[in-house]
Amino acid sequence: MIDTFALVLTHALLALTAWRLIRRADLDHDAGAERPRPAWGRRTDA
Amino acid sequence: MHDLFFVGFLLGLIGLGFRRPFLFVLGYVYVDIVSPQRLSYYLLNSVPISLIFFVLAVGGWLAVDNKSGLRLSFRQVLLLLLLAWCGITTMTADFPAAALAKWDWVWKALVFAIFLPVTLRTRLRIEGLLLFMTLSASSIIIVGGIKTLASGGGYGSLDLGLDDNSGLYEGSIISTVAIAVIPTILFLARHGTVFRPDKRVALFTAALVFACLLIPIGTEARTGLICIGLLAVLMLRDMKRRALYMTGVALVVAIAVPLLPQSYVQRMHTIEGYQADQSASTRLAVWQWTWDYVQDHPFGGGFNAYLQNHLTIRLAGAPGGGLAPANDVAHDQARAYHSAYFEMLGEQGFLGFGIWALLHLAGLVRMEMLRRRFRRTTDPDEAWIAPLATALQNGHLIYLVGALFVGIAFQPFVYMLVAAEIGLDSYIRRIRPRQTPAPMGFVQAAQA
Repeated sequence: MIDTFALVLTHALLALTAWRLIRRADLDHDAGAERPRPAWGRRTDA
Repeated sequence: MHDLFFVGFLLGLIGLGFRRPFLFVLGYVYVDIVSPQRLSYYLLNSVPISLIFFVLAVGGWLAVDNKSGLRLSFRQVLLLLLLAWCGITTMTADFPAAALAKWDWVWKALVFAIFLPVTLRTRLRIEGLLLFMTLSASSIIIVGGIKTLASGGGYGSLDLGLDDNSGLYEGSIISTVAIAVIPTILFLARHGTVFRPDKRVALFTAALVFACLLIPIGTEARTGLICIGLLAVLMLRDMKRRALYMTGVALVVAIAVPLLPQSYVQRMHTIEGYQADQSASTRLAVWQWTWDYVQDHPFGGGFNAYLQNHLTIRLAGAPGGGLAPANDVAHDQARAYHSAYFEMLGEQGFLGFGIWALLHLAGLVRMEMLRRRFRRTTDPDEAWIAPLATALQNGHLIYLVGALFVGIAFQPFVYMLVAAEIGLDSYIRRIRPRQTPAPMGFVQAAQA
């Protein structure tokens, strides 16, 4: 009984996690996370 | 019904994996932790589902995943070296058959730990991995927690749903892991984006953390109590209201202690009188044997080299009439290491121990660097980084202390935590490269 309750609860949450993950575009590509290096880090006055 | 449930779940995961191949990676994590094939009665126990998910995960990554900017980190190189070294010691092992049996699962854990970080390319993937790890471990922890509440548990007698003492289903191992995973659970509750913080998340988190804390009580593993103590101290580091936190901890202890089962209190008392306790004295004897052994065999004896030990254990006698008569002597043989540190020394020698220790030390240092770099960030996009680095580091420290008393040098769950650390580190390097310092005076000139 306890074993079944824990298995069903955790597997339902795992399934919900998987379902929510596949519906998000940022699973495979972070939108806008990569930032260009700041301009002052480069020498432009040479 | 039971078996159909697992088959349905696994088929569902595979189906979703064909839409997003990262789900295959998470499927492997789930199979490795929960071992549904061992919980199954007839349908799954003859199918190599772990292998199937591994092949799908690697195949999916090779076929469609973005691999730009991919490079091996220092710790992945260390894992490769450790893998190669364990392979060599297995070929020259003192007990070839026994060594091969352990190598059979160790190499998989190491290879997966090397592979996993390269798939962790986005923040959501790191979060997804941590969710799958904690929820999978929860399937064991919730069972243990409820049974402890219902019956009080007992050393070696808490039934976690699978009676073969392997993987996370062993009492001392789950006690350490259940506490080591608490910082990650708290991180997910505060900074999660799959399950955003709300009342339901808070309720589940509170119940799950409570179940985690019950595991060392249910299994009566003394290591777990030490881990809980360390967790309480580590959480103090980033606590804003320290006085309130310490008062809360004191209050919880005051309320909890009278409610603890009598057998648990008695067993915890043996931490003080450890010299009179045969289990603890045997450990000391094994550690002494291992230290002597490695002096003669500096390259280690390969996996399961402990099988050759013969021990004479002197029990000092507990002060005030304890557990054993004074100066009693016991004999034992083929005792396991009961410590990951001595496990590494005895099996992999000084070199293997050195690689292993460096791997863990480097992880702690890197997490500390991330913690400090992003602790005071004001950018909301970066607000999750320092808390995650802290959570992983706290879990790592708890593991390393628990590992003093439990032979879990190659526990796959821990290598997934290590891989999550490497993944986080590589991810930050990619999206937030350290700015090269501007030449003197240039910043002012640029601003002018």
